[in-house]
Amino acid sequence: MNLILKKDELNTLLTAWRQDYEVYAPQSLQKFTHFLPLQDGAEPAFNKAHNTRVPPKALFLPTSEALLKFTRFGGYEQVPTETAPRLIFGIRPCDAHAVTMLDTVFEQERYTDPHWQARREATVTIGLGCHEPCQTGFCTTVGSGPFNHAGLDAILTDLGEFYLVETLTEQGGRLFSQLDAASEMQAAQAYELQQAAQAGMPIAFETEGLKQKLDQNFVSPYWEEVSRSCLSCGVCTFLCPTCFCFDIVDETQRNERVRNWDSCMFRTYSLEASGHNPRPSRVERTRQRLSHKFTYWVDQINQIGCTGCGRCVRYCPVGLDIRAMLRKANQLPSEVAHA
Amino acid sequence: MPDLDALKAEAKRVLDEGIVEIVIGFKAGDTPLHPQPAFFRSAAEVDQLVYGALCQNNLATYLTRQPKTQKIGMLVRGCENRSINALAFEGQHARENLYLIGIPCEGIIDWRKIVEQTGEEVISVVEQSDNTILVEAMSGYYTLEKASVLHESCARCIHPNPVSADVVIGEPLPEGNPAMAREKVEAFAGLPTQERTAWFRQEAERCIRCYACREACPMCYCEECFVDHITPRWTESGTTPAGMQGWHIVRAFHQTGRCTSCGACERACPMDIKMTYLTEKLNDDMRQKYGFEVGMDPTVPPPFSTVTLDDKSRFVI
Repeated sequence: MNLILKKDELNTLLTAWRQDYEVYAPQSLQKFTHFLPLQDGAEPAFNKAHNTRVPPKALFLPTSEALLKFTRFGGYEQVPTETAPRLIFGIRPCDAHAVTMLDTVFEQERYTDPHWQARREATVTIGLGCHEPCQTGFCTTVGSGPFNHAGLDAILTDLGEFYLVETLTEQGGRLFSQLDAASEMQAAQAYELQQAAQAGMPIAFETEGLKQKLDQNFVSPYWEEVSRSCLSCGVCTFLCPTCFCFDIVDETQRNERVRNWDSCMFRTYSLEASGHNPRPSRVERTRQRLSHKFTYWVDQINQIGCTGCGRCVRYCPVGLDIRAMLRKANQLPSEVAHA
Repeated sequence: MPDLDALKAEAKRVLDEGIVEIVIGFKAGDTPLHPQPAFFRSAAEVDQLVYGALCQNNLATYLTRQPKTQKIGMLVRGCENRSINALAFEGQHARENLYLIGIPCEGIIDWRKIVEQTGEEVISVVEQSDNTILVEAMSGYYTLEKASVLHESCARCIHPNPVSADVVIGEPLPEGNPAMAREKVEAFAGLPTQERTAWFRQEAERCIRCYACREACPMCYCEECFVDHITPRWTESGTTPAGMQGWHIVRAFHQTGRCTSCGACERACPMDIKMTYLTEKLNDDMRQKYGFEVGMDPTVPPPFSTVTLDDKSRFVI
């Protein structure tokens, strides 16, 4: 269903939604944007084609959260998850797509994460398509796109004076039920813009056969070459919308068992109690990060574990670019001769 | 700007003559704002070498990641050279294994400031001879004053020249004014306690604990950082206020008498957290109380790394 939302009516709509939902939208925090609950009089801050600095996965998997609270004499209580209805407004398609991929991790048949599930069920997501190409993103390369619908209840296309709203679920339809239908011309205009945006995001590397190349070159000087300048910090993984690794720690002074984000790029991530570390250097860690996204995830759910948001490229302190790394991987030999 | 051809020629020479096994410098990045640290193993590879104000890393951070016996050549600016001297004092490498190709530094550009000023995606950046930069962005060109996009640490840099390089390419620059560094420290110190606390909390509590600041810092080379230590645990590892404040304050204190004010920590931070206001205060204390400046003279030990029998505080021995 295509509807028309005038930009000057957006705030009225956001205010109305706030009766029923806690509305999260990108807002300026220092010099970048962050998904925060909208307060009275605040407006969403949309940077030109720029995503929020921290991906909205943090709204479902907080950087730190208490899972259990210990009680005296060896008992414990589960910490309940906030499940007040939430609405995320202005999430970019790459980030929304990423959340659906994380569902396959946290909502598996036998192992469902109650915290993740509760937050997911309580949340409606309204996306904003990217009509201006972004330089570090590569969504179209990895099966997403600037107007991808995955994980969204509705998606907006910015047409200057107004947004064209495409409702994608029943819930999305209800939220915009007051709006007028778009004319055929407006719908055509939006379609054209979406096509242009798609075309503005050229293919950054070849994904066909990439998994096989990485599999076959598990042992290869390639990994040393692409990881040489890596600092082994956690920027790429923490800002990644599909990275989900966590570490569970007991904060005994607060009687809490806490789940914190963790990163495969950290030395301590794979350090074993014996002192042995199967991924002792940035070479093995880089291989893990790339292989997880471009081979293991393909094995598991037949999807590349990356939606091309480009944060890892933009914020890497040493300018490492996963696109260039994978272009190099495209050049690797297909069959490795075994001695 | 140093002559790129002269830099390349020197890097090639030391590789060709076997003086070093590798040269650590920069090569063009895959995105216009991020030249990458690069490791050149042969004269042929050196053709890729680039140098400019967007080269934002302190290359000395790679020194402790290379084998100690390796003969290493490195491009060094004032801060990098001083970091190397500080590392030498701490026994992290042997100076005779290093060949330092010095560059008088005109300051590093904070790429975030370019994005902030243009407000859009950047396609290319060209440094021009009149202290401006020409930025090509999606919708057109911008000419920006270089001074307006310098990283803050560089704007108040005191020692832009390499202090103990084996060769210096380019003319030495005038030393910076220590009063500029002081100004910043005094302005912060002059704030009421509550405001300083609020500032510290606001900065520290934005942290996501990715440790890019630690990894970018040449002086943070501990095999096991205090935050990773498990028995005993020194601080919370999560993003609680206690954990984030604990990290930022202890990280800063570990830099006392070791930080060269290069600002690599801030440039690496994905959350734009200010950190040098803490280390600058410590550096200022070192200057005022002990007359000590990190890495200026490799033979002078940092005050907190020495002990003498007549020390007036007897708690150490």
